[in-house]
Amino acid sequence: MNANTPAKVLSLNNVEVVYDHVSLAIKGVSIDVPEGGMVALLGANGAGKSTTLKSISGLLIAERGEVRRGELQFLGRSIGALSPQERVRLGIAHVLEGRRVFEHLTPDENLIAASAVRGRHDTSRNKERVYSYFPRLHERRTVASGYLSGGEQQMLAIGRALMTQPKLLMLDEPSLGLAPFLVAEIFQIISRINKEEGLSVLLVEQNAVAALEIVSHGYLIESGRIVMHDTAETLKKNPDIREFYLGGAKAKSFHDIKHYSRRKRWLT
Amino acid sequence: MDWALLAESAVNGGLVGLMYSLVAMGIVLIYKSSSVPNLAQGAMTMLGAYVVLAFANNAKAPIWLAIILAIVTMFGVGMAIERVALRRLAGRPIIMILMMTLGLEILLRAGSMTIWGGTGRPMPIGISDDPLFLGPLLINRTYAVGAAVAVAMFALFVLFFRTRMGVVLRAISDDYTAAWSVGISVERGVALSWAMSAVVATIAGVLWASVQGVDQSLAQLLLKGVTVAVLGGLDSIGGALLAGILLGIVEGVAASFLDPLLGGASRDLVDAAMLILTIMVRPHGLFGRHDIERI
Amino acid sequence: MLFRQAGIFHTNYAADRALFPISADRWMIGILLLCALAAPLLVNSLYVSSYLLPWLVWTAGALGLNLILGWAGQFHLGYAAVMGIGAYATVHATRAGIPWEIAIVLGGATASIIGIGFAFAALRVKGLYLALSTLALQFVMDWVISHVPAISGGTQATLQAPDIRLLGWPVTSDAGLYYVALIWCVMVTSFMLNLRRTALGRALIAVREKDFAAAVIGVNSFYFKLVAFSTSSFIGGVTGAILIGTFYHAVTPEQFSVDVSIQALAMVIVGGLGSIIGSYFGAAFILLMPGAMNTFISWAATQFGFSFSIETLAHLPQALYGALIIAFLLIEPLGLGKIYSNIRDYLLVWPFGYVKK
Ligand SMILES: Nc1ncnc2c1ncn2[C@@H]1O[C@H](COP(=O)(O)OP(=O)(O)OP(=O)(O)O)[C@@H](O)[C@H]1O
Ligand SMILES: [Mg+2]
Repeated sequence: MNANTPAKVLSLNNVEVVYDHVSLAIKGVSIDVPEGGMVALLGANGAGKSTTLKSISGLLIAERGEVRRGELQFLGRSIGALSPQERVRLGIAHVLEGRRVFEHLTPDENLIAASAVRGRHDTSRNKERVYSYFPRLHERRTVASGYLSGGEQQMLAIGRALMTQPKLLMLDEPSLGLAPFLVAEIFQIISRINKEEGLSVLLVEQNAVAALEIVSHGYLIESGRIVMHDTAETLKKNPDIREFYLGGAKAKSFHDIKHYSRRKRWLT
Repeated sequence: MDWALLAESAVNGGLVGLMYSLVAMGIVLIYKSSSVPNLAQGAMTMLGAYVVLAFANNAKAPIWLAIILAIVTMFGVGMAIERVALRRLAGRPIIMILMMTLGLEILLRAGSMTIWGGTGRPMPIGISDDPLFLGPLLINRTYAVGAAVAVAMFALFVLFFRTRMGVVLRAISDDYTAAWSVGISVERGVALSWAMSAVVATIAGVLWASVQGVDQSLAQLLLKGVTVAVLGGLDSIGGALLAGILLGIVEGVAASFLDPLLGGASRDLVDAAMLILTIMVRPHGLFGRHDIERI
Repeated sequence: MLFRQAGIFHTNYAADRALFPISADRWMIGILLLCALAAPLLVNSLYVSSYLLPWLVWTAGALGLNLILGWAGQFHLGYAAVMGIGAYATVHATRAGIPWEIAIVLGGATASIIGIGFAFAALRVKGLYLALSTLALQFVMDWVISHVPAISGGTQATLQAPDIRLLGWPVTSDAGLYYVALIWCVMVTSFMLNLRRTALGRALIAVREKDFAAAVIGVNSFYFKLVAFSTSSFIGGVTGAILIGTFYHAVTPEQFSVDVSIQALAMVIVGGLGSIIGSYFGAAFILLMPGAMNTFISWAATQFGFSFSIETLAHLPQALYGALIIAFLLIEPLGLGKIYSNIRDYLLVWPFGYVKK
């Protein structure tokens, strides 16, 4: 680490998470998010990406999971023992996988519900800000959110997180199930928020192509372990990443299966 | 056929039905915020009435003060029930939760009996027994007051669910985890809904007690409350109001036909039949929400 | 435990899948059965008829309810009504001169047929709604039983049950009645033990875990729900008949009211959902508790110089009963059966507890 490394907003050190006292979901994950930076966490299904985010936001309690080892620091402060609310109040916002908007509430009410930890007059200011990022939500602010389109719901989920005035925004697969142009739009808005407000972003994605375009650094997680960490540029060039996550390289013939498994093993 | 009698039993039935709605509203309040069906609502109603009597008789408070003190006390009781009994059960199978509310029912009912004894006592809240004349119809004054209170409570709750706190409670009922993720204190929200429901129970308890006295039979309002709540759609306050009127009328009219045929006491049968019919034909009730499914 | 599992190896599948694969278990069961058979000789007949007998009958009832609740995962808040149907049908049949052995089967069959009504509710709705509709059916049954004179013999009436005759021999002694209860309890227990090992039992569990997933793997949940409800209602009906025949000797509607349904439910929950040995513990606990509470309260009253009013004394046990149900749900939701198996697991390796981890 050289002297001009930016200050860290979030740092995970060797975090281990266990569900139901038995199943080990992540095994010693270490991640740093620099202040105002954008970092991606990539990995296949079941690698432990969502679990990592939940360990940061404290939502493991909802699924009988616990952080059994390691340290979680947010703005230099250990947050391992805090409740989800206290973490939100400190400035951690978690946009859940699969959108999860409050379906029977209107977008407007979704935003109001999400400002429970902030003061009343912050609410209207924050709401305006969210609507300026997502004008489409403003148009549809009076219908039940359950009837919004997938893209609109995702916007609402992000807007809802912004209502808590976060310093760190964690997004879990925001591109899930969306058309490519919507993905592009949403990613563009995310990077705009990052630039305009200096908000740090931790982005979890399966869609590595889109993610690596907007982040500065990336981590690769496999079977609960971080197996690679580098700048986005380097990651994009890495042949293994290209092969397994960017869908690049040439088609494989079955003769190369051995080669495939060798690569895979090396990764883990 | 005696039309006047029929009309009278329909009107009085509707008013009684609104008083059932008061019990049902308590069930709806809790269900709406935590999807817990509270089978102890009847016992809470009974406890509320006993607490009012305790303040009025033992502490010699005037009845209006006793009612206010009881409301405050029951608010605390509701919070405590959530804290002690329900919080640890979050996320457990529904059978455990149902059994918990049944356990609470037994505890609250028998507990009140243990403390205050089982002999019936009057609850004088100063409503005269003389009937009200509405044209040719005789109307029970207490029922009329009870119905008015039910409508007022309904209006209050509709307004409440538009406030910030109300929106938060609705958010909790939609998705616990998402509520946590935006910093909502789910536990406190659910506790608040129990507390409000205990307050509604107290009010229902006072009104019903002034009709039939304070004793164990107040707890049997549970069946009426559940039937009305399900018929209205378990999470709809407005549904509880309308379903109450509907059940009251059906019960009143059916009883005036069936009682002579079946030798009395046909009301409970009508309730149970309504409950079964609703569940079989339209489980989400008249106004309950379907889960939104987008195509 | 008094034995070790070490050194027990099965060399064929039959031995491995035996009901009790460990020979020490077989010995213990045998000894327990012998004790049960000898009980009327060893124990004061007052205890036999007022504690052991109702315990055995209620255990059979709890097992029947456990079949529907613990195995098939379907709610039933109207089990007492089903038991009542069996009881009334049997009493009427014997009064009409049908031999008792046949009458209880008829009672069970009647309960089973009406119990299918509950199953139809279960086919339409699940979870909470099923619970409420079975509760409502309980109220309807209560009402019908007490308001139709042809069934109850008039309102507020008590219908005398004729003495039990088995193969023409009257059974009236305490010991004889106790053996009737014992035989029924053993029959139900062995049925339930074997059920676990059959395709039916596994299908029921599949339905419990996930209706839809069960359908995908080819389990017809419609059929299995019907089977589960009718089987459990049969057990309930016969249990109700035996409860009347051996214990109450007369039948009234209150014996099968909604409170009794809740009591049966409490036995299953306190004992442990799906646990057979738990049903024994649960039934014992719920039956013995009121008596034990009364004794304890009067002991405490004399000890500490309280004096309770009659009303307090009448209601306090009930309040404590509610409190205990709550305590169980909070402390050990899987009930006494789970506590037993924890203790057993601990003792099996004692004092070498660390070998397990
Ligand atoms: N509530 C839970 N209880 C038990 N195990 C869980 C739970 N949630 C996740 N796991 C396990 O933890 C591991 C990591 O899951 P996680 O959801 O973090 O994966 P992911 O990387 O987010 O996958 P995806 O891309 O599919 O969302 C998986 O093996 C999963 O089976
Ligand atoms: Mg995930």
